[in-house]
Amino acid sequence: MAIPVTVVDDSKISRKMVIRALPPQWNIELTQAENGEEAMAAYRDGKAEVMFLDLTMPVMDGYQVLERLQKEQLNTFVVVISADIQPEAQARVKKLGAMAFIKKPVKTSDIENVLHEYGIV
Amino acid sequence: MPDSNDTANLLNFIVDRAHVGIFVVNQKREILLWNQFMEIHSERKANTVVGQNLFEAFPELPQKWLDRKIENLFILKNFSFTSWEQRPYLFKFAHNRPVTGGVDCMRQDCTLMPVKDDNGEVQYVCFTLFDATDTSIYQSKLKETTEKLRDLSSRDGLTQIFNRRYVEEALEKEFSRARRYGNKLSVILTDIDFFKKVNDVHGHLAGDEVLRVVSQRLVNGLRDADILGRYGGEEFMVVLPETDNQGAQVLAERLRNIVQAEPIETAGESLTINISLGVSELYENTAAYAQLIAEADLALYQSKENGRNCTTLFRPDF
Amino acid sequence: MYYTNTASSKSDKKTAIMSIQPYTEDQNDALQEVVNIAMGQAGDSLARILGRFVELSIPRIHLVNVDDVIKTVTSMVNNNTEISAIRQAFSNSLRGEAIVVFAQTGADDLADLMGYDTDLAPSAEQELLLEVGNLLVGAIINGISDTLETDLSFSAPSLMAERTPLDQVLVPEQLSWSHSLLMEVNFAIEGRDAKCHLLMFMAEEAINTLRGILDEFMDGI
Repeated sequence: MAIPVTVVDDSKISRKMVIRALPPQWNIELTQAENGEEAMAAYRDGKAEVMFLDLTMPVMDGYQVLERLQKEQLNTFVVVISADIQPEAQARVKKLGAMAFIKKPVKTSDIENVLHEYGIV
Repeated sequence: MPDSNDTANLLNFIVDRAHVGIFVVNQKREILLWNQFMEIHSERKANTVVGQNLFEAFPELPQKWLDRKIENLFILKNFSFTSWEQRPYLFKFAHNRPVTGGVDCMRQDCTLMPVKDDNGEVQYVCFTLFDATDTSIYQSKLKETTEKLRDLSSRDGLTQIFNRRYVEEALEKEFSRARRYGNKLSVILTDIDFFKKVNDVHGHLAGDEVLRVVSQRLVNGLRDADILGRYGGEEFMVVLPETDNQGAQVLAERLRNIVQAEPIETAGESLTINISLGVSELYENTAAYAQLIAEADLALYQSKENGRNCTTLFRPDF
Repeated sequence: MYYTNTASSKSDKKTAIMSIQPYTEDQNDALQEVVNIAMGQAGDSLARILGRFVELSIPRIHLVNVDDVIKTVTSMVNNNTEISAIRQAFSNSLRGEAIVVFAQTGADDLADLMGYDTDLAPSAEQELLLEVGNLLVGAIINGISDTLETDLSFSAPSLMAERTPLDQVLVPEQLSWSHSLLMEVNFAIEGRDAKCHLLMFMAEEAINTLRGILDEFMDGI
């Protein structure tokens, strides 16, 4: 069964880079979102069982998405992918409920490691 | 084609003998390589420094600054540089320039190069040290020449006081500043009484001497912040920052007395020379710095009308 | 919008340039992403150096031609501010010159942020500007080099101007490049911020080369 995955980033190129790094054998249904609001919409449509989330976006940023998800106790596996890789940023997103943090530029092995660690693939 | 052994030998030779300092340190700041340039100038052979901590081997190095710079390189993983212009040298080496130009030791530019392993982590820092002494000498000569040039363009050739352009620009600046901060400002215009007669009767050389002497006496009468310039043939302007016309009047009178106190000896004659002076000050409604000059000029004219050898303060009814 | 130099251009070199196409949205996007990644890494490194949380970002990159540079930078920096600037040349696949402009207040803020006495001796203040400039330029050049897989190197930075009015520093006739990538760099350290502006001057040729490099990069994704 195809797992619904949403990639959230305001940069088209960045979304492409994440998508390229997704493990080829992973059976997924892919949705793209440009900002936090679109991400939430995708979630409500049942398209975001796994979410790859950028932090700096207009309209609604990654932190706000995490807050929303946490507040409404919504159920999605969030992997934050960001250029801002400082320990504090990582700690902050973990506290907000993100399961993992991957620094850009993202490699396939990074994603594979996370998915294996959490038994998703 | 040289084989790989030859190439290795060639590279070693080049690194060792190139006319730049090359040395390498690891994360513990231990020296791993010390080329001939460094040997010669430090007077320490490679085998006496390799393996030692850089700062223990060379305690005169600016350790706090340099250690931080090295540490930053391991973290930032990118080239960094030092320049003789901010920091004249790292190592105090003798230079070999015959003409010193006031430089006591070698000036150095330095490049710090990160040497990374396969994981992209920096393992070593490679320093290249360049002798920048020549450049620094040329630079200071250039600076000297530029300053001389600036002087030439702002000074009056004959009297060596500032020229008209300079003193007018100074007034313009002081005017802006006074406007910005609400300070006082005054201007004195003065000229030598009957100067034409000096030239006609005693000749131009005498006239020149009178100008020189009067200029010098005026200079001696100024306060530190005052700016004096030769405004015209026999005319001078003084800019008095933070001074009102009362203060300016006091100074004007002092100048008048200094000039006439002693005769001027020239052309075998003893000439009595006087000056007339006009004073203006900055008001709230003074529109531009040119107005200060115009008002001082009107006041000066009044001094002439009143018999010369006196000071007049500008009044609006002139 | 096309940047076309007309017959009213003053200097010879500019009349020789016909026109330059701005980057497409995708190309801009790719460039922005490369720079974001580079700044993320530089910010992280700086945080490790300072021991404090650092935010380093470049919100937008503009491509401007040299005549517009002053206008654009002036609108970003306060008018009539005195600035200090450093310059650093880069070469190899792209040739050009980076200029980092610090408004005077920015230089003081930076010193404060980086833990220096704000009352620095002139040579120490110069060293600070050169180090920060080198850090930024180095990060971007390396970012472009690594992510776009192209060879780029840079040389030592030098001081270009100190406490000088902006329009005396950026004089179009004295800048031998035709275009510039203009980036505002925001530093924030523990809630306080400082700012500087980074201009990457290049000739039309390099702008086009970079365009090609960006296209190749996007094709490879």
